Amino acid sequence: MPDQQPRRHHPQPLGRPRALRLGVAGPVGTGKSSVLATLCRELAGELAMAVVTNDIYTDEDARFLRSAGVLPTERIRAVETGACPHTAIRDDVSANLDAVEDLEEEFGPLDLVLVESGGDNLTATFSPALADAQLFCIDVAGGGDVARKGGPGITGADLLIVNKTDLAPHVGVDVDTMVADARSARDGLPVLALSQHDPASIIELADWVRSVLARHRDGTHIPTDPGPMAPHSHAHHDS
Amino acid sequence: MPGLAPLLLGDGRLPVGAYTYSAGLEPAVAAGLTREHVPALLRARLRTAAVTEAAAAVLALRAAVENPVDYGPVQRALAARTPTAPLREASAALGRGVHRLARRLAPDHPAVTALSAVRPRPLRPVALGALGAVMKVSEEDLAHGVVYDELQTVTSAALKLLPGDPLDTVAWILAAEPDATAAVNEALAVRTPAQLPVRTPLLTEQWALEHARRERRLFLA
Ligand SMILES: Nc1nc2c(ncn2[C@@H]2O[C@H](COP(=O)(O)OP(=O)(O)OP(=O)(O)O)[C@@H](O)[C@H]2O)c(=O)[nH]1
Ligand SMILES: [Mg+2]
Repeated sequence: MPDQQPRRHHPQPLGRPRALRLGVAGPVGTGKSSVLATLCRELAGELAMAVVTNDIYTDEDARFLRSAGVLPTERIRAVETGACPHTAIRDDVSANLDAVEDLEEEFGPLDLVLVESGGDNLTATFSPALADAQLFCIDVAGGGDVARKGGPGITGADLLIVNKTDLAPHVGVDVDTMVADARSARDGLPVLALSQHDPASIIELADWVRSVLARHRDGTHIPTDPGPMAPHSHAHHDS
Repeated sequence: MPGLAPLLLGDGRLPVGAYTYSAGLEPAVAAGLTREHVPALLRARLRTAAVTEAAAAVLALRAAVENPVDYGPVQRALAARTPTAPLREASAALGRGVHRLARRLAPDHPAVTALSAVRPRPLRPVALGALGAVMKVSEEDLAHGVVYDELQTVTSAALKLLPGDPLDTVAWILAAEPDATAAVNEALAVRTPAQLPVRTPLLTEQWALEHARRERRLFLA
């Protein structure tokens, strides 16, 4: 049953919790902005949404999303990160919180706010102070080994996306093996093989977001922190 | 023994969003400022913007310990001395991070509740006055914190914008000490909002306006 935890610091009218804040992290170019665009395209008809982007330079991602025409442009905000994209989603989330709160104030009540991290590397994940849930995006073009290399996002994000599966044959990656590697690194957490050219995978992605939102609303979703570091592990000698 | 609060106030790692701000360095670099001019920029900031900021923070701290707390006069005086909208907006954005921290530390403190009544949002020195009251720092420590933060902000941004040996930046800060001390003393001598010095240099204003229109930025201002 709904538990009114104090973490809901911005209660909405109607006794509904504030918008679900969903972070999207992952290395540069793995398709984070495209995932955001896809989610807007799939969900903006049924959910009140807004987007915050964190680029190294202010607004590349915001411009991409605005030009994609998937959300009214004023609902897409870019945050300056002073060249510290990690800090902006973990050690000091002030600028992002300001942007999220502004969007909620101006366009609220909102159901879903997506926050894209400044594309960086395998270690950047969101603090629960900013994101209630997060998905981490890697792609087949980065190589089949990436999932096995691990890192906090790969092992601990609420959802791991293995993106651009349509490219797998061109880069000599076996998607099933990559997904299996990812699963074994994640201790039961979900993994989704995604491609813009695979409608079934897009439906799965949207359904996953709907399910997290439902759990956020009934109070059963507990934000977890993948942490800034990979959990300590011993070297594998099996390859 | 000065306690930890003054050290926290001057700590660049205080999670209040300050790393998004370059204290005018990025706009200046875009206008052609180079690495060898950074020490001169620091001295210029210490004689101008830093004095106004520190004095406003001290006035806000004095207001914060009155009953009732009224930040209106200092907020208005500071806004009137910050004619460039992007600089007011940057100050309000930074003030918001400070306000969030003050709320987290002491949500019911009269100095903090009064902050929520300030319209538009409290400028950073006003929020710092409230935080100073919550952390019980002296006027001098607060002024020092603001002035030191100005130096840290410019020099850390320089590491991103005009990269070079990070150890240089420490030497720059130490070399600016006499000007920093003078700025603190000048700030402490201001007794009323009407006396708040008007110091933002015109070029700084113009660069800030140009910066606000630029698309590829690292820093807020
Ligand atoms: N083939 C293929 N290309 C994709 C897919 N998704 C994204 N891309 C392409 O991958 C490139 C990078 O996509 P973005 O969405 O900008 O990636 P990003 O992670 O947001 O990039 P940064 O913000 O720069 O880190 C673009 O050229 C996209 O068109 C996909 O499913 N299949
Ligand atoms: Mg992107």
